[in-house]
Amino acid sequence: MRKQFLSLAVAVAFLGCASDSGSDAPLFGMQRNDPLVVGDQSMPRVDEAGVESRFEFKAADGKLLVVYFGFTNCPDLCPTTLADLRSAFRRVSGSAEKVEVAMVTVDPERDTADRLVPYLSSFVDDPVALRTTDTNLLERVEAAFLASSSIEKEATGKVNVSHTAATYVVDETGTVIVEWPFGIGADGMENDLRILFEDL
Amino acid sequence: MKKKSIIAVVASATLVLAACGGDDASTDTSTADTTMTDDTTTAGDLTAAGEIVVEGAWARTSPMEATMGAAYMKITSPIDDELVSASVDSAISMETQIHETVENEAGEMAMQEVASIPLVAGEVFELAPGGYHVMLMGLSAPLEVGTSIDITLTMKSGATATVTAEVSEDAPSM
Repeated sequence: MRKQFLSLAVAVAFLGCASDSGSDAPLFGMQRNDPLVVGDQSMPRVDEAGVESRFEFKAADGKLLVVYFGFTNCPDLCPTTLADLRSAFRRVSGSAEKVEVAMVTVDPERDTADRLVPYLSSFVDDPVALRTTDTNLLERVEAAFLASSSIEKEATGKVNVSHTAATYVVDETGTVIVEWPFGIGADGMENDLRILFEDL
Repeated sequence: MKKKSIIAVVASATLVLAACGGDDASTDTSTADTTMTDDTTTAGDLTAAGEIVVEGAWARTSPMEATMGAAYMKITSPIDDELVSASVDSAISMETQIHETVENEAGEMAMQEVASIPLVAGEVFELAPGGYHVMLMGLSAPLEVGTSIDITLTMKSGATATVTAEVSEDAPSM
């Protein structure tokens, strides 16, 4: 609930700034003094047929890469984040061409390629679906983002998934330039995309 | 877009007694007698016995591949009460639970089922993304824009309310 209020307050603050001058507006996302470098990490990208190719965590030249760790059976956080991204993209022209969206599934056993790719495609065009059943590799990639996840299976068959809920914006050098905590909302993402696009 | 649903409490004398808890019992009974007319079961009556008010109920669209969905809303109970369950037609989802998204020691976000949500008389309790939600488990079909889901809320007092949640891509604007 607090996050809800936060994003509201942020939205109001943004509207206030926007009427002054756009260029000096601050980013809403988090920026580290010592940014995370993830460009040396790679993992399998899958297409809907399950064909794998190697994906490096770097944006293409002149673009941005947005990375999220989630899973398709996630009813609250993941669809909220992906829907906020979709809204922000609709509001900021050129987003589809300038930003590539990648989701790493933290639930690879259930998120097979034929589920993962269409799921992501329902939110963004040409998504990057990343999936590995190699636990060590998944953990290594997560660690580079200071993220983590865990899966606990109950005897009843119920699966409990915990995961870091932040979204990461990566540049072409493979550096995380902004981290969006959950709750930043479409307004926060929109604000940051407009600012980041100025430097592309 | 803002939709306000006022649902009459399925009234019973015990509910009104609960609402007046702590007061002299005989007074309570007479209050119940005067307010428990047929009017209390209609949405137009805003007497002290009150209704459960649910505003802005919505459920997010779900992609074809998703088997889980979530609905959000703002609930105001006329009495101190607890939301103990939510249910939808089994043709829509196999099971419905009330969930809370919480952060664990590792900084990861996880969901857990909650037994109840305490409602303070007259105060709005919001189920919102990242917090509490009505979780629709085992969706039989994707939730699509233009459709709606009837959700029945049951309180510890025995009161029930049925609210219509519109399916939309994003939260309805305030």
